[in-house]
This record gives sequence, structure tokens and C-alpha cells, in this order.
Amino acid sequence: MSSRRRRIADWAFRVFTVAALVAVVGPVLWVAGGVVARAIPHWRWTVLTTTTNGASGGLLNAILGTLVLMAGVLAIAGTVGVLGGVYLAELAGTGRRGRPRGGVLRSATEVLAGVPSIALGLVGYLALVVQFHWGFSLLAALLVLSVMVVPYIARGTETALRQVPTAYREGAEALGMPTGYALRTVVLRSAVPGIVNSLLIALAISGGETAPLLYTAGWYTGTPKAALFHQPIGYLTYPVWTFWDYPSNQAHYLAFDAALILLVLVLLLLVAARLVVNRSQRHAEVRQR
Amino acid sequence: MPFISPRYRDRVDRDDRTVGPGIEVTSGPGRSEVDLVLEAMDPDGVRPAEAIAARNLSLCFADKHIVSEVSVGFPRGTITALIGPTGCGKSTFLRTLNRMNDRVPGFARQGDVVLDGESIWAPSQDLLNLRRRVGMVFQRPNPFPMSIRDNVVAGVRAHRIAKGKQLDVVAEERLRQVGLWDAVKDRLGDSPFRLSGGQQQLLCLARALAVGPEVLLLDEPTSSLDPISTELVEELLRSLTPALTLILVTHNLGQARRTSQHTMFLYQGRLVEHGPTQDLFERPKDPDTLHYVTGRIG
Ligand SMILES: Nc1ncnc2c1ncn2[C@@H]1O[C@H](COP(=O)(O)OP(=O)(O)OP(=O)(O)O)[C@@H](O)[C@H]1O
Ligand SMILES: [Mg+2]
Repeated sequence: MSSRRRRIADWAFRVFTVAALVAVVGPVLWVAGGVVARAIPHWRWTVLTTTTNGASGGLLNAILGTLVLMAGVLAIAGTVGVLGGVYLAELAGTGRRGRPRGGVLRSATEVLAGVPSIALGLVGYLALVVQFHWGFSLLAALLVLSVMVVPYIARGTETALRQVPTAYREGAEALGMPTGYALRTVVLRSAVPGIVNSLLIALAISGGETAPLLYTAGWYTGTPKAALFHQPIGYLTYPVWTFWDYPSNQAHYLAFDAALILLVLVLLLLVAARLVVNRSQRHAEVRQR
Repeated sequence: MPFISPRYRDRVDRDDRTVGPGIEVTSGPGRSEVDLVLEAMDPDGVRPAEAIAARNLSLCFADKHIVSEVSVGFPRGTITALIGPTGCGKSTFLRTLNRMNDRVPGFARQGDVVLDGESIWAPSQDLLNLRRRVGMVFQRPNPFPMSIRDNVVAGVRAHRIAKGKQLDVVAEERLRQVGLWDAVKDRLGDSPFRLSGGQQQLLCLARALAVGPEVLLLDEPTSSLDPISTELVEELLRSLTPALTLILVTHNLGQARRTSQHTMFLYQGRLVEHGPTQDLFERPKDPDTLHYVTGRIG
């Protein structure tokens, strides 16, 4: 290839990568900008401190509800997902011919990730809300959200663990560390960025889901109660989805306020995740981000 | 007959030689430092003269013979160099000595390895304690992703040898032993990956020494280091005897000559020759050994 053609190819490659970047970042900025531009002009700080009253008032109940749901998902799906990922990467071992075992579990998580969330919501509604007589409730919502995000966490954890250098594992083995101890003190440490990223995605999904929550959490205008059953709960996507149809400006403003608050919550999550990752990586060989 | 401790008499009788160049067994009524150290470690004189030994050991990976019928003993308190061309099975042999190959897919063995007279695969043998007693240092320095201090005491913590404030004492003691203390004493909390390659390897040695091993397996520990770091590591290795028994895999024949008392030459999975380092290099009995040490194989 002549050097002229090589230069043109090089240049074209650059143009394509920049175009792809714009295609990814552009819409994100456009959406975020749209939300901010519509929410700011009517912003009232009392939105953060008062509860919803019909289709007006504030969003305190929804903010607290979303935070409770996220915390619950972190506890349930985080535990199950991380342990599942550890099992797939570390304990399932290899079958004959050195292929990794745990294929059934792995495909199950993949299928789960492919099920539309509204279908999961419907199943959760029929089974938990109706069949078990739990009613619209925190636990029903948490279970459905957890089932949705566990695959992401398990796969994220597994991938992160598989990327941990063999040298760490062998070093720990040669020192006579028990397998579980080595996992906790040496191996997991360098898998933290991948695991935290998967938890972050899981939390963002649970904060942003609407369909399964409409079926399981219902909607509640009071602040969350400490009850797992028979007690609906508010969440931020409800006003975004529902209030937009209401024939009042008040309701429309609340819808955009809720969207803005969700956006800020996700940003705060990103920052928190970055802090955790940086802290875990301060002794790392290669800094991951 | 000069005074020689029972252990040495045994060794001298069998091999018709002293412990090796550099370490002399003093004749006469006095006793050498080597003797004193060894006696302190074994006051009743009941431990076998060989710290660890392979008996008719054959190793396979998926039906492919890697090491065939190797029988060799490693005298307590000495350095044995393990040399041979690439792919001849040195690492496989070495990793078997602390059972690092046990769980590798396709690995199979025949024969035995005895540590202090007991098979390392004996049911009474605790695998984790075995690895504490038989430590290993790798070709590429592999500090853990934790602070320098935590690296040194990682094994100590795992085996609950010390805790709390004692860990700082252990860390300082071992870092001093490997000659790294002055370089790192002000940054014990820092990442080990900002140290030079040679310093990282010394750190790994400190980590391996901290759990109090009896035997140390070293797989080309200086092959990724510059000549000055290499010299530091070699000096350290020599200083570890006679308290420890060292087995040193190396491609650097000069290193084998400088550091070891015995050398074993492995070629295509067979133990071709084994003897005092000087003899093996200067008067090899086997033509293959001669070719290898004069640079015509491998
Ligand atoms: N896990 C494994 N599975 C299958 N074969 C292996 C495995 N490990 C090593 N081997 C084979 O065993 C033979 C000996 O390997 P080994 O690593 O012991 O050589 P070596 O003497 O250490 O070589 P070098 O000097 O290059 O380090 C090689 O042919 C290698 O391909
Ligand atoms: Mg090797």
C-alpha cells in the first residue's frame, strides 16, 4: 500500500471513531440538556421536602422510595449476583478438556437478561402481588428488580475475576493461603472495579425502571413505611410516566422535576462508584477506571 | 577422622565430599558455623540430612511425559541449582515440590517427594502448611495489589503466625533481611508497583521468608532483573543458607556456579547428572552435560 493510501485510511479511521463518539455522546447530552432546560425554569426547592398531593406537591415520597428500592436491590441482588459471579469464575472449576463448568447457570443468567422487564413485572404481579396476597409491596418490587439485575452483576463479577492476573493467584497459592482467604484478600481486590461497575449498572437500572414497578410497587404518596408487605411505595419514574398525561402544568412540571432528580441521582452514583474504585485501586499494578 | 557432626558424616560418606564450595565443614575439635546453625535447628539430630528429596518421580501432562524417574535429594542447608535447556521440565519439577501442579488439568505423577522423611502427599500432610514450609518465588516478581507492608505479612496473616503490632515487627525484620528496609521504610503504605523490578523481587522474597519456610523454590528469580539487582538477590540467597534449603532454577550458568553447592542437569525430562557444582561444571561425566555447560545445547 502506498504511503498516500495509508494516510487516507488512517484519516478515515479517525473520522469514523470521532463520528461514533459523537453518535454515542450526542443523544445523551441532548436528552440531559432537554430535561434540565425544561425542569429548571419552574424549579421549586420544596419539591425535595414535600410529598406528592394528587398530581401536585413535591416528590419527597418518590425520592425516598427510589433510594429504598436501590438500597434493597444492592443488598439482595448485590449479594446474590456477586456470590454467583464468584461461583462461576472461581468455584465451578473446569470440566473435562479444561472447559469452564457452570454453563447452565451462565445461560440461565443470559436468558434472564433477555426477558423484557414488563414481562417480569407481569409475572411478579400475578405470582407475588396476587397469588401470594402480598399486594403492591416493597418486597414484590425488590424481588422483581433483583431478578432483573442479578445477571448483570453475576456476569460483571465473573468477567472481572477472570481478568485477575494468574500471578496473584499463584503467589497466594504458593504462600499456602486457603482458597477462600486468597479470594477475599488478594483476588477480589483487583476485581473491584469490574464488580462496582456492574453494581452501578444494576442500581441505575433499578432506579430507572418503570414497567415492573407499576405492577409490583404500585404508587404511594406518603413517605416509605417500614413494611415489606401490603404497603405500596413511591418511586421517581412513576411521575415521569404518569403525570405527563395529566392536563395540568403542575403535573408536567413534576414529571420533569422527577426526571431531573433521577439524572442527578445517577450522576451521584457514578461519582460514588468512582470513589470506591479509586480507593480500591490505590495499590494496583495497572490502574483501572 | 576429624570431628564431623553425624549428619555430615552421613553426607560425606555417601557423596564422598564436603558440603560444597564456600561452606567448609571444619575439621578438628571446633565446629563450623554451619554445624551450629543446623544443630540449633535440630538439637536431637533426628532430621534426615536431606530436607526434601524426589524418589523415582515421573510427571505427565495429559499422557505426555515431562519428567521421567528423577531421584534426587536436596541436602539441608545448601543451594542446589537446577539447570537444563528450555522445556526440559525444570518448572514442572519445581512446582511439583510444593504441590502447585496438583490441580493443573491433565497432571499425573508417579513416584514420591519426601519432605523431612514424610511424603508430601501423605494424608497426614496439611497442604497449606506444606506450602508454608516449602515456599516459592517466581520468575516475574508478583507482589500483591496491596501496600508494601501488607505484602510482606500477607502469608503471616493467612497462617495467623502473628497479628496486630507484631505484624509491623515481622515486616521490618524481613525487609531488613532482604536489604530493602532503608529503601522502603518511609513508604510502607505505598503500592509495591512503584518499586523497581529488583526491589519487587526482593519484596517477594521477604514475603516468602516471612512465613518461616524450610525449603525455598526459586524459578529463575533473577531472569527479569538487571545485573546489579541479580547480584543483590544472589548475595541474599547465599545468606539464607544454611538456615534454609534452596532449589534454584536458572538459565544463568554463571549464577549456578556462583551460588550453588550442588547442581542437577535436567535434559528432556531426565536427570542426566547431579553432583557438586564444581565437579559438574569442570569435570562433567556425561557428554550431554559437557555440551550444555559449554554452551552447545539449549
Ligand atoms: N500445564 C501444562 N499442561 C501441559 N503441558 C505443560 C504444562 N506446563 C508445562 N507443560 C509442558 O511441559 C514441558 C516442560 O515445561 P516446563 O515449564 O517445566 O519447562 P522449563 O524447563 O521450566 O522451561 P523454561 O526454561 O523455558 O522455563 C513443556 O513442553 C511444556 O509445554
Ligand atoms: Mg520454567
